[in-house]
Amino acid sequence: MSAARTIAAFIRRDFLAEKSYRLSFALGALATLANLAVFYFIGRLFGGGLAPHLEPYGTGYFAYVFTAMAFFGYIGTGAGSYAGRLRLEQTQGTLEAALSTPLKTIPFLAAMSAWNFLFASFELVVYALAGIFIFKLDFSAANWPAAALVFALSAACFAALGIISSCFVVLFKRGNPLAWVLNNFEGLLGGVYFPVAVLPGWLLAVSNLLPVTYAVRAFQLAVNKGAGPAALGHDLLVLTVFNIVLIPASVRLFSLAVNRARKTGTLGEY
Amino acid sequence: MKIEARALIKIFPAPPFSGSQPLCALAGLDLEAGPGVLGVEGANGSGKTTLFKTLAGIIEADGGAILADGAAAGSGRLRELSVYCPSNPRAFYFRLSAAENLRFFGALAGLSAAQALERAKLLGDRLGLSPADLEKRFDRLSEGNMQKVSLLRSFSRRHPLLLLDEPFRGLDKRACLGLLGLIKEAGKASVVLVSSHSPELLRDAADKIIVMEAGKIKNGGEK
Repeated sequence: MSAARTIAAFIRRDFLAEKSYRLSFALGALATLANLAVFYFIGRLFGGGLAPHLEPYGTGYFAYVFTAMAFFGYIGTGAGSYAGRLRLEQTQGTLEAALSTPLKTIPFLAAMSAWNFLFASFELVVYALAGIFIFKLDFSAANWPAAALVFALSAACFAALGIISSCFVVLFKRGNPLAWVLNNFEGLLGGVYFPVAVLPGWLLAVSNLLPVTYAVRAFQLAVNKGAGPAALGHDLLVLTVFNIVLIPASVRLFSLAVNRARKTGTLGEY
Repeated sequence: MKIEARALIKIFPAPPFSGSQPLCALAGLDLEAGPGVLGVEGANGSGKTTLFKTLAGIIEADGGAILADGAAAGSGRLRELSVYCPSNPRAFYFRLSAAENLRFFGALAGLSAAQALERAKLLGDRLGLSPADLEKRFDRLSEGNMQKVSLLRSFSRRHPLLLLDEPFRGLDKRACLGLLGLIKEAGKASVVLVSSHSPELLRDAADKIIVMEAGKIKNGGEK
């Protein structure tokens, strides 16, 4: 069985299921626009008030938060979707059925969130078009190849974190400490809504332990200031190290979690 | 193919801090089956479903061994060799049509979309499930038709080990007759294990019947 066929099957299934909830789709799109509007007006209110902290990025508050939200929205898909999908499969009673087939771990992980990534890509395009045509943001200085590199490294890193987070769902069903950290602290400490330079020293130290800090900073610098791989060297190196550690660890941990559930007979429980 | 279980043990641990005891579902079970249909009888809680799920590689045994054609088979190998049809037919995506569900699960088992849909139509006809039923959303089907879709998912895979856990549940007379025919045909090439609480249907379906009691084959033999 080819991995491509598996991924295509999952995407088709999720598209059909999503399509059957039409109102949810429309409300999701509206929520995105409402969020953007909030930050747009915050940006207008404060104008250049945050300029000293934003100076390294060469941009105003709205452009900063817009770029970070669009970026974080995409990479956050990896962090959140695995656990969410698995939980859904558990409650529907389909997880055991899917995992009773000869499906291997890596194709399963690649396929499970493929639809979420596809949809997040669509949202990203909407963000970009809204940024250019509605909010009149200027991306002319962007270094797109460098931004793409940061993007790929960050998405892989967050997908690995999401897979590790989903292990808690496999084992404990409800109660996921990693998802709790990812949901509540990544935005606060990772520089999504404001540059991490405004944090006090002790929080900055915590922030420096999180991959999101390096991801958001590197992406901001690439998009808003046109920084290239040489200028982003340190952030890219840290993201690469996170990937080298987290990707194999996440696949291994997921296999162990599923094997443990097979052993305890709880694969079909929710 | 020949499937053997030797001194198979499965103990489900008690939930932490529940105060309850671990549950011994398989207590050193021995079984040997070649191509043909083997009926499995037993009271509720005798270990039939655990046996089927263990042979299907869905859960892992705590002791003993499973051999396929004489070679030790772990859970990964068993998932390649076997198909398990659960007694509860609700393990499907409710907002998708029956055909879309079969297409999806077919893809996971290596079938192309065309193969999955063609087999669904052919087998559906044998069970009295019309093409119109296949196009209905799964949650709009009756319990009996859900069971038919569950059977289609299992039979369309044509694996060497077919494990049917209470397959007659909820089926009307015509579907029962169709299913008996499908079981007989599958038994010509595959090892088929069937459980049922209907002695008559089990007798019609199986060449041999074993009885399970407390996680073992009762008196070590056939009925």
